Amino acid sequence: MISYHPDSRFLTDFASANLPMAQAMCVSAHLEFCGKCRAHVQQLKEVGGHLLSQIPPVAVEAGSFEQLMSKISEPQSAPVASSLEARTIAPKSAKETYLPRSVRRLSNGSLQNLGWAQFGKALRIAPLPIAGETLETSIYDIKAGGQMPEHEHRGEEITVLLKGSFSDADGTYSRGDFVVRNAGETHQPTATQDTDCICLVCLERPVRPRGWLYRLLEPYMQYRLHSLKRAATAS
Amino acid sequence: MGNKDETSGNKHSLSKGASLTADPWEAALHKVAESADRSAFQALFEHFAPQIKAFLMKGMSSYADRSQAEEMTQEVMIKVWNKAASFNASKASVNTWIFTIARNTRIDFIRRNTRAERKIEIEDIWHEADSPEPIVDFQQRRVEVEIRNAMSTLPGEQALVLEKAFMENKSHNEIAEELDLPLGTVKSRIRLALNKLQILIDR
Repeated sequence: MISYHPDSRFLTDFASANLPMAQAMCVSAHLEFCGKCRAHVQQLKEVGGHLLSQIPPVAVEAGSFEQLMSKISEPQSAPVASSLEARTIAPKSAKETYLPRSVRRLSNGSLQNLGWAQFGKALRIAPLPIAGETLETSIYDIKAGGQMPEHEHRGEEITVLLKGSFSDADGTYSRGDFVVRNAGETHQPTATQDTDCICLVCLERPVRPRGWLYRLLEPYMQYRLHSLKRAATAS
Repeated sequence: MGNKDETSGNKHSLSKGASLTADPWEAALHKVAESADRSAFQALFEHFAPQIKAFLMKGMSSYADRSQAEEMTQEVMIKVWNKAASFNASKASVNTWIFTIARNTRIDFIRRNTRAERKIEIEDIWHEADSPEPIVDFQQRRVEVEIRNAMSTLPGEQALVLEKAFMENKSHNEIAEELDLPLGTVKSRIRLALNKLQILIDR
């Protein structure tokens, strides 16, 4: 069951398309799991539709309709009724049908296509290259029962659980949950025993690991992630 | 349960009511979808294109000049022509459907004019047609009527923040900055407005 949802700010900024692409990806991923929030976004779009109908109109230029019809009658713009489905990327295997559309697109249908960096035994991270975006967006894969280093957040962090579940001192999170952590909060997530946990994570600023060992490792982690990201952006 | 019966009863009376006060643009869209009806499309164009142009000019003052708004309006109307068959009257009004197309065209335009990500399709994130959800369809149309009726009763400061969010392309943060208000105040104004419109988001 989904227990954690985006709040009214995220849903409104999403419906009006005013979220940075990385955060919008997180909301969109949640929506693929959550009918209730999907209904809210549809309602919010009704607000947009109503406001559009009330807007003081601005006249189009003379001849605009004729110009439009000549564009439409050009052969390359023949009606494309079901292009939407055709343009989505299918998951490479039945095991990966849980991946949201945006992640399927960026990973070309499979998480195996992403560049992964391993950190300890339990955690590996694949940065998702989103050009022009200052937010860090990644896929986290935590082994069943694995524990992440305790860390403190230096900015807002959104985690969307795509598969499996994890828990920390505040609760247990499962598939579809949209979890927001704010600057200054500290936690140590642990994946549940039975299955690996896959998350979509969007960070305002990198988190700071608290243990001394991880502090020593952090520059290396950042270096690894950045070089993966550079490689992915270049490809 | 009694509750269920009541819901299906309402559904019938609503669909009757809806056919009496039917959205005049639905029929025009169907004609475009079924027979590429040029005069139905012209009527849609004459009504919606000036609204779309106004919307694009409001939301994109820093990116687009007048001639680009004109060109983008045509781009939106080409999509209306091409996608008319995918319009589903049980899910949204024509206004909302066109708003969604205009909104997505606007994001796509901003993206083309900045160094933003190209690989991902706008519709991978902002889906135009959400996945089927029959349970909420009926509610959708009811909410749409409520929204229309309640919108005119909103206090000015609440109407203003919705206008800025949906028409002027501003996030909560940008509205807070522009109106010189704390973020929490903007959030609570929007929440109050949404509650009045019966859009009841938990947090």
